[in-house]
Amino acid sequence: MLHLRFIFRELILSAKQASIFVLCVALSLATMVALNTFRKNVSHSILGDARSLLGADIRIHSHYPISRGIDKMVSDLENHHDIEATKTYELYSVIRPLSGMRTLFCRLKVVGPRYPLYGKVELRSGRPLSQVLSPGKILVEPEVLGRLGVKIGDRVHIGEATLTIADVITHEPDHPVNIFSLGPGIIISAADLKRLQLITKGSRVEYSILIKVGRNDAAINKLADRLKQVSQPAQERITTYKTSNSGMKRFFDNLFFFLSLISIFTLFLAGIGMQSSLSALLREKQKTLAIIKSMGADSGFLFRQYFALVLCLGAIGSMAGVAAGLILQHFLPKVFQGLLPQGLTLTVSVFDIVEGLAIGLLVVVFFTFLPLYDLRNIRPVAIFRHDRTGTGRGILFYPVLAGGFLLLTVLVVRQLQDLKIGLYFMIGTTALIVVISLLTRVLLAAIARLQVASLGMRQAMKSLFRPGNATRSIIVTLTSALSVLLTIFLIQTNLSATYIESYPPDAPNLFFLDIQPDQKTAFANEIGGKVELFPVIRARLVAINDRPVKQQTSRRRGDSLTREFNLTYRETLLSDEAIQEGKTLFTKDASGKTPLQVSILDTVAEMGDMHVNDILKFNIQGVPMKARVSSIRTRTKSRLYPFFYFVFPTEYLQHAPQTFFAALHIHKKAIASLESRIATAFPNISFINMADTAAELGRLTQKLITIVNFFAGFSILAGALIMVGSIFATRLARVREAVYYKVLGGGTRFVLAVFIYEHLLLSLLSSILAVVLAQAGSWGLCRYLFDISYSPHLVVSCTLVLITSILVIAVGIVSSIGIIRQKPAAILREQNGE
Amino acid sequence: MTTIILEAHDLTKSYPIGDRMIPILEKISLVIGKGEFVVVIGTSGSGKTTLLTLLSGLDKPTSGRVIMDGRDITDFEENDLARLRNEEIGFVFQAFHLVPSLNALENVMFPAELKKDRQAREKAEGLLQRVGLWERRGHFPEQLSGGEKQRVAICRALINAPKIVFADEPTGNLDSKNSTAIIDLLAQLHKENGTTLVLATHSTAIADRAQRVIHLRDGCLTNETEI
Repeated sequence: MLHLRFIFRELILSAKQASIFVLCVALSLATMVALNTFRKNVSHSILGDARSLLGADIRIHSHYPISRGIDKMVSDLENHHDIEATKTYELYSVIRPLSGMRTLFCRLKVVGPRYPLYGKVELRSGRPLSQVLSPGKILVEPEVLGRLGVKIGDRVHIGEATLTIADVITHEPDHPVNIFSLGPGIIISAADLKRLQLITKGSRVEYSILIKVGRNDAAINKLADRLKQVSQPAQERITTYKTSNSGMKRFFDNLFFFLSLISIFTLFLAGIGMQSSLSALLREKQKTLAIIKSMGADSGFLFRQYFALVLCLGAIGSMAGVAAGLILQHFLPKVFQGLLPQGLTLTVSVFDIVEGLAIGLLVVVFFTFLPLYDLRNIRPVAIFRHDRTGTGRGILFYPVLAGGFLLLTVLVVRQLQDLKIGLYFMIGTTALIVVISLLTRVLLAAIARLQVASLGMRQAMKSLFRPGNATRSIIVTLTSALSVLLTIFLIQTNLSATYIESYPPDAPNLFFLDIQPDQKTAFANEIGGKVELFPVIRARLVAINDRPVKQQTSRRRGDSLTREFNLTYRETLLSDEAIQEGKTLFTKDASGKTPLQVSILDTVAEMGDMHVNDILKFNIQGVPMKARVSSIRTRTKSRLYPFFYFVFPTEYLQHAPQTFFAALHIHKKAIASLESRIATAFPNISFINMADTAAELGRLTQKLITIVNFFAGFSILAGALIMVGSIFATRLARVREAVYYKVLGGGTRFVLAVFIYEHLLLSLLSSILAVVLAQAGSWGLCRYLFDISYSPHLVVSCTLVLITSILVIAVGIVSSIGIIRQKPAAILREQNGE
Repeated sequence: MTTIILEAHDLTKSYPIGDRMIPILEKISLVIGKGEFVVVIGTSGSGKTTLLTLLSGLDKPTSGRVIMDGRDITDFEENDLARLRNEEIGFVFQAFHLVPSLNALENVMFPAELKKDRQAREKAEGLLQRVGLWERRGHFPEQLSGGEKQRVAICRALINAPKIVFADEPTGNLDSKNSTAIIDLLAQLHKENGTTLVLATHSTAIADRAQRVIHLRDGCLTNETEI
């Protein structure tokens, strides 16, 4: 039976606590709803058209020229009009204008006549690609014009060719956003491929055939299977639009995944806020509930009324949260600025709204279960005195709690779309909150025992233990939120410091790639000094001790053993290398000769669980080769110096198809002129300015951190809400205390001092605990996961403590102004009336 | 004596305060007949309220038994006690203890609504008219005077025609004029309905209105007098 009048009136009377509850529900949902709808819109707008993203139904790609078998099959199918196909070649090279010293490292895409098979390349002029792109003409991204100081109609040198800029690319279907690239893109007609003379043996080119089948998925899969049968399995990869996992999709999947973690974390904290505010509301009502029980209402009756009340508030909060999320979504394009194209379409579906409401109600039911269940423990005698005896947990308690936890886990797994990570997250977050809770208990117990001289501080310390004060909930929530924020900051700054900002002054800042064997001497002369050239031979690792290297088992340390590697040859260790296992780099046999062997780096040894004397099988551009592991090397300097996983003795690879690589340190002022001279003399040689690249990476990282911090900031709100709710909940007790202080001679200043000290204690406990946890966690991650040096940034930590204290005190005082101003007489009269 | 409606056998109650057990009542035994008006008199701290809470089932004794209408209610489950409180017992508190979110009429109706009584409204309206609060039926407790609140509380206690009404210092928070009015009302209602009335007070003037007076001092029964 629902006593609707009673429920409604209770809602009105407890408006403040109810508002806090509703805000907590709304907060728990807002970021999640915003993120989910935004993610769907991004997927739909940018990633939704998988065919356009791949550029085909089927894509064959390889770092080597496409094999004859595939080529023939594709030609035959084209001739029978079964498919449409086009070839593309992607490579990097330096381009330069006809005059001046400027050069620019660019991503070149050489495309066949029918490109693109899906989607549309949009140009600034609005004309179709087929009308604009012709032999001798190129299309460029806007950045090319700015950085080279050229305009449409100007001619530029690319490789051995001179081509005219015909138009500007505003949209590429398979490259909808430019998240991070070593250089801006240029589209060139396949008719100009030979003229460029950039593709020679050993050149780093991505060869692709794009195929449009134009029929259903079954036909596409059937053709893909046929192509796989004639392909070179170690070299050529065949993907369909369904199986292809584009780098862009991976980037956004990872980004949204991480943001989902944060939004779920906010949900947990807001959930604690819900529980805390409901507990406070019910505590306020304890006497009323005892009166109702004295009239004959049983626990079931009370549970039904307040459950209905909670559902009602939950529905309001869910609607507010969904609305806030949908509004927040409109600000996200600005937050993601630079990572997304302009004019992203934002839509909302009924499903999004219903899903948000359902999640909201589920979350409300879980987090309010405990306080509602505790209604059983209110006895009528509580009218007369504080009654601590209860009826205990009851048989339903643990099953219902377990069921709720399971449902919450399902929600988390669904949100993250990954079972393993979802479970780890649930366990990790629960463990974090439990640890913080335990530490809080210890700290509060220590404070309870402290003797201080100041009366105001003594009273403030006792106030922390005032019945009804949500001291523990406030500290747990604030500590959790602050520690996450600080950890993100510390890890990001330490990573930036290692890889981006503190670029060692003597480290190589210019890398030269694709130096041909016959260019070595001339290149060295052009540099004007002694140049160390590293031979680079591309190959794949096929087997370890006759065990084939497979995709699933080989992914460790964020790298893959199935990818292409750069082999090299030399007879000595580099200056930053040391032998970790084995006696020397290579061993000689009894006759004094150096048999075929390979020295491997410790990081790749770990990836493949490789040891000295293991037999590795390579495929070196179609030629198989087996070598025994002679030693395992380790690096003694930072990773900014070039390194090679696999090093062979000179005699075995010196005649293999190879290019050379040089890493130089050039004075900043001399870089531009050197780049220009090298680009003019050797158009095929690419060079990367590492300092510029690092800076570009730094800008991307900063953008990502801004996004992460934006979402993480919502978790701080949860802590603030709990604090305000706690102040409302204990208002009567605070008023009484304030009145007693005043009656006994303490003025408004004393009352204010006590309140300030109380909030100062709360903020110091929360922020210092957060700093300790964040520092410990960040140090552990930097030391053991990222393997980088760690700087604690103590000034930032202290600033966090300071800002938290100011904000917590400010919120506390603003919420307590009415209490501080209360006149004693009115309160004393009120008390006598009861 | 007429039929016995309430018995207490060796009732003892102690409360834990900190790590000590404070004795409040010490082996109280008494018998109350159906339709009696009994006053429990004692000074502040004598254990009157505690005795009433034990007799009415609002609290459980540390030891001893309470027999109501032939049933031992000492070990009743919470739901059985709830039914008892709703259907057979009425309680009037010193501090009125009306539900703040319900108006006068709704407060009186509440116990009857718990019982799913379809005539709850009519009964409540009748009671309020009887006590002269018809005009104030839509007012909330904060809008009523002390005397008005207590009259509402009395109506609430009577709406389900209980067998016994317990009144704990019903005039404790009232001025003398209102006090007299309330006691007159209680006495009258007791006479009209024949409801057993057990009233706790420290006032001898009120005690003189009862049929029997039980004296409590320091948690012990010291005397019983028939008036």
